[in-house]
Amino acid sequence: MTAPTPTAPVPTAPRTAAAPRAGLGRAVHAEWLKLWSVRSTGWSLAAMVVVGAGLTTLICALVADELSTGETGEPVGAFVTWGLLFAQVTAVVLGALTVTSEYGTGMIRATLSATPRRGTVLAAKSVVLAGTLFVTGVVTAVLGWLGGNPFLDAEGLGLSLGDDGLLRALVGSGLYMAGLGLFAMAVGLLLRSTAATVSVVLALVFVVGNLVVLLPGAWGEWLTKLMPGNAGGRITAVESFNPLLLGPWTGFAVFAAEVAVLLGLAAVAFARRDA
Amino acid sequence: MIVASGLTKRYGDRVAVDAVSFAVRPGRVTGFLGPNGAGKSTTMRMVVGLDRPTAGTVTVDGARYADAPAPLRAVGALLEARALHPGRTARAHLRWLAASNGIPAARVEEVLGLVGLEAVAGQRVGRFSLGMGQRLGIAAALLGDPPVVVLDEPVNGLDPEGIRWVRSLARDLAAEGRTVLVSSHLMAEMALTADHLVVVGRGRVLADCPTADFIAAHAASFVRVRTPEPGVLAGLLRARGADVTRDGDELRVQGADTVAVGELAAGAGLVLHELGLVRSSLEDAFMTLTAGDVEYAARPAEVTR
Repeated sequence: MTAPTPTAPVPTAPRTAAAPRAGLGRAVHAEWLKLWSVRSTGWSLAAMVVVGAGLTTLICALVADELSTGETGEPVGAFVTWGLLFAQVTAVVLGALTVTSEYGTGMIRATLSATPRRGTVLAAKSVVLAGTLFVTGVVTAVLGWLGGNPFLDAEGLGLSLGDDGLLRALVGSGLYMAGLGLFAMAVGLLLRSTAATVSVVLALVFVVGNLVVLLPGAWGEWLTKLMPGNAGGRITAVESFNPLLLGPWTGFAVFAAEVAVLLGLAAVAFARRDA
Repeated sequence: MIVASGLTKRYGDRVAVDAVSFAVRPGRVTGFLGPNGAGKSTTMRMVVGLDRPTAGTVTVDGARYADAPAPLRAVGALLEARALHPGRTARAHLRWLAASNGIPAARVEEVLGLVGLEAVAGQRVGRFSLGMGQRLGIAAALLGDPPVVVLDEPVNGLDPEGIRWVRSLARDLAAEGRTVLVSSHLMAEMALTADHLVVVGRGRVLADCPTADFIAAHAASFVRVRTPEPGVLAGLLRARGADVTRDGDELRVQGADTVAVGELAAGAGLVLHELGLVRSSLEDAFMTLTAGDVEYAARPAEVTR
C-alpha cells in the first residue's frame, strides 16, 4: 500500500448546481449494489433454486409411481412445488441478513449516514429484497415444475400451465418468498441479531406452526390457519396436504397483513432507536 | 459551520453529553479533545443524526443533517473505523455509498487514490488492517466532497507515516475553507493538528479556545533550584513575592524566572547545585484539567499483606 504525498492537493468532485435529493430511487440503487456485493446473497439464492427445484424434481421422481396407483390418498398437486417447503429457509436467512448483517458489522451507521431518513432506508430494503425473492421464488417453482412434471406425466398425472391452480402456485411461490423475506427482515430489525432472527422465524414457521394444532378444539384449528407459514405457504401449492388451511388467496391476505403489522412495528422501532 | 446548543444525551440515568454548546468554524482545524468516555463520539454521532439528542440541537450550516438533500455532500464523517461489511470490497463499499447520494462513480476512484488504497480496492475489507480500514473510512468521508468534515479518532491504528498524512490532510481541508472537526484523546496529537480546541470531560465543555491560548493557560512552568541552604533562599524569594514550595533541598518557584532566582542567590552569596526551568507537558496540562472528569480512571493497586 502506498501512501499519497502529504502535499497532494485534495481533488474535488464537480459540484452540481442543485444537489439531487437522496430519495427513494437512490436508496434503492444503493441497496441493490449492497445486496449483490456480498457473497451470501448469491449463495442464498442459488441454494433456494437448487434446494427448491431439486427436491421437487426428486420427490416427483420418487412418488410418481405410487401416486399413479391412487392408494396414497395424497393430492398430486401438492408435489409439483414441494421443494419450496425447504427452500423457504433461504428466504428467511436472506431477509434476516438484509438488516442483521448491518447491525452485526456496524454498517448500519454508514447506511444511516448516507440516508438519514429511516423510512426511506426501510422502504428501499423492502423493495430490493421483495423484488429479488419474488423473481427467485418464481424461477425456483417453475424449474421444479419443469424438472418434476415429466415424471408425473409418465404416469399420466402431469399438470400443465392451464390446469387449475398451477399458474397461481408458481407466481404464489414468488409472492410467498417475498413476504417471508420481509417477515424475517422485520423480525431482524426488532432483534438486530442474525442468530436470534433466523431461529425465531424458522421456529415460528416450522415448529410452532405445526404444533399449534395440538391445542384443544377451535384454538388449535384457528391458530393453525393463522400461523404465518401456514397461512402464507398455502399459495405456493396447487393442492395442500393439510385440508385445515385457509384458501390460497385468503391465506395469503392474512399472511400479508401479518407481514404489514410486523413491518409497521419494525419501522417504529427503527425510527426511535439510536443506530 | 457546526453549531451545538444545549446538546444533551442521556442513556438511562447516565448523562453522556450534558448541555454542550460550541461552534466549529470553517477554515481551521478544530480539535475535539477529551478522555475516553467524555462524550466526544456521542456528540459526533448526534451531528450526523445517528443518535437522537435527549435535548438541545446541533446543526450543520444551519440545517439538521437529516434534512440535507444529499447528506454525504454536506458532511463527511469518519465515525467508526469499522462501519463496513467484511465481505464487501473497498470499491463496492464506496460505490453503494456514492449511489445513495447520487455521487458519480468516477469519484470513487478519485478518493481511493487520495487515500492510497487503489491497489487493494478490489480486496474484501475483512482482510484489511486497522490502518487500511481507517483510510477507507476517510475515503468514505471525502466521497461527497463535503464542506464539513468530521473525523472521530482518525489516527487510531495508523502508522507514524499515516498519522502525519491525516494531520496534513486535516490542515489541507481546513485551508480550502472547509469546516474540520477532529477528535482525539491525545493532547499531543491535537497540539500538532488543531488551531482551536474544544475540550470536554464527562459530557461538559471544559475549554473552548485557540490551541495556543490553551497551552499558555494550562501548561504551567516553574523554576527548580537546589541549594544547601534552602530555608534562606526560600525566605529571600518569598520576600520578593514569589511562590515557593520546598521539598528537602529542592525549591519549586513560581513568579520568578531563572535569571531572577540566580541573581538573587548570587547577591546573597548562596551556593546553587541546580537551577532550571521545568515546563509541564501538554499532556500534564490536559490531565490536570480533566482530572476530575475522567470516567474510567486507573487507580494504583493497593498493597495488601
